[in-house]
Amino acid sequence: MTATRPNPAEGPASTPAVDVRDLWLAYRPGQWVLKGVSLRVPKGQVWVVMGPSGAGKTTLLKALAGLLPFQRGAVEVMGFQLRGEPPRTFRRVVGYIPQQLGLVRGLTALENVLLGALGRHGGLGPTVGLFPRQEVARARDYLAMLGLGDKAGTRVFNLSGGERQRVAIARTLMQDPQLILADEFVSDLDLPRAARVLETVRALVQERGLTLVMNLHEIQLVQELADHVVVLKDGRPVYQGPADSLGWADFRVLVEAPDGGTGVGGR
Amino acid sequence: MGAPESAAGKGRDLDLRRWRDLSGVLALLLVMGWILGRMGFFDPGRLAGGLANFGRFAAELFPPDLSVLPAVLGALAETVEMAFAGTFLGFILSFPLGVLGTRTLFPRPVVLGVRLLVAMIRTVPSLLWAVIMVIVVGLGPLAGTLALAVYTVGYLAKLYAEILEGVDPEVLEAVRGLGAHRRHIVRYVLWPESANTILSQLLFMLEYNIRSSTVLGLVGAGGVGFYMQVYISTLAYGRLATVLLAVLAIVLLMDGLSAWARRRYLLQS
Repeated sequence: MTATRPNPAEGPASTPAVDVRDLWLAYRPGQWVLKGVSLRVPKGQVWVVMGPSGAGKTTLLKALAGLLPFQRGAVEVMGFQLRGEPPRTFRRVVGYIPQQLGLVRGLTALENVLLGALGRHGGLGPTVGLFPRQEVARARDYLAMLGLGDKAGTRVFNLSGGERQRVAIARTLMQDPQLILADEFVSDLDLPRAARVLETVRALVQERGLTLVMNLHEIQLVQELADHVVVLKDGRPVYQGPADSLGWADFRVLVEAPDGGTGVGGR
Repeated sequence: MGAPESAAGKGRDLDLRRWRDLSGVLALLLVMGWILGRMGFFDPGRLAGGLANFGRFAAELFPPDLSVLPAVLGALAETVEMAFAGTFLGFILSFPLGVLGTRTLFPRPVVLGVRLLVAMIRTVPSLLWAVIMVIVVGLGPLAGTLALAVYTVGYLAKLYAEILEGVDPEVLEAVRGLGAHRRHIVRYVLWPESANTILSQLLFMLEYNIRSSTVLGLVGAGGVGFYMQVYISTLAYGRLATVLLAVLAIVLLMDGLSAWARRRYLLQS
């Protein structure tokens, strides 16, 4: 029973949720966006990736979500060795919320949340718009839990920014993931609202023992929410440590330190 | 000191560009004149004679001979049926082909194969498709319907592939990240994100097919074109006028209907 995929139920101590070793990634040959990133996220923790724009935060998260091929290094996420297109079983344990949320604007909130169940239902039903009754009930429950119970039938383009964020969260929860990767998904909200959304997510993550890795700009929120912080600059981690030991001043020093380039031009 | 200098420079640039544009337009006019001249457009005798012929033809169109109206209306109904059925069939084929031709969804060889096929279909004009279909299934409206269907595929499949490729790649990526199958992506991302444009193009194609179906009868592919051909070849221009007026009425009616459908169903979101 020592296949490439260890049993996730082995316990939090045995395998980390994310294990990245010397990851190098380029969109075009020779133009490295990630330059040897290594990190190890234990299960059940909340990690925040910070850094100036162009530092490679989004690229890192996409690589962890199995959405980008990389050239060098090893990436193991929830026990899956990533190489090329990951299997559908990977999609069931790893949820990914992109920066612009990736909601289908012409569908209702409920329909968008139900999309999270597609990985479990390969049959013809969902293709013709029919989902199992218990899945619909669950989707409604998630919406209600996030305060959107009365918006289930509203199309996404009629929802506010904050409501859309919560639909995206509900959709990810619907996947039943053990790891959630979230890419600055509250960046469009004002600070108090972003804080509320993130607190909801944090509570859910703790309650279910999930692991959360997210990119975040707002250092004010980082210290309240994160266990651990990684600061990325120009494709390299320049700091890794507990969230409470990193202050705003430290962050500025780290990011503005005159080593390497400014990170402009990357992603 | 630098400002007026650069303003003057800008003024000179502008003059230069104006001259360049003007000489471009002049060159275009010269080329057009040369082409028209080669065709005999500037031959006064020929044009004057043509004008006289046209006057005689127009005079013979009036008054329209309304005695043939019942027969013409029956054929016109057949024309409209052909247009609807052909557009529908074409749509049924175009959407899947459009999906297969979407680069964001299918591997390159599939996309290229489909696009080549569709380009080949598009190369053949609808009247030629009608001739081919008459050979294949014989005279009558079935040939016309099939010709319109194939012609529709040539256009709609290309347009649909382009529309579907325009869907936000981040949404595609996000839904793919949920473990969705390709058919789910088509059903829950591509279709809802582009349904409006897809249906709008379909309406446009229907209008176009109504117009083009009126001439398919010229080659025996059913509809009112048959009467056009008969009346032209027997020099019965009064009867031809009735056909043309009936076609005009139906085209205007369809344009009005589709404008209404657009306003009512497509513009609201």
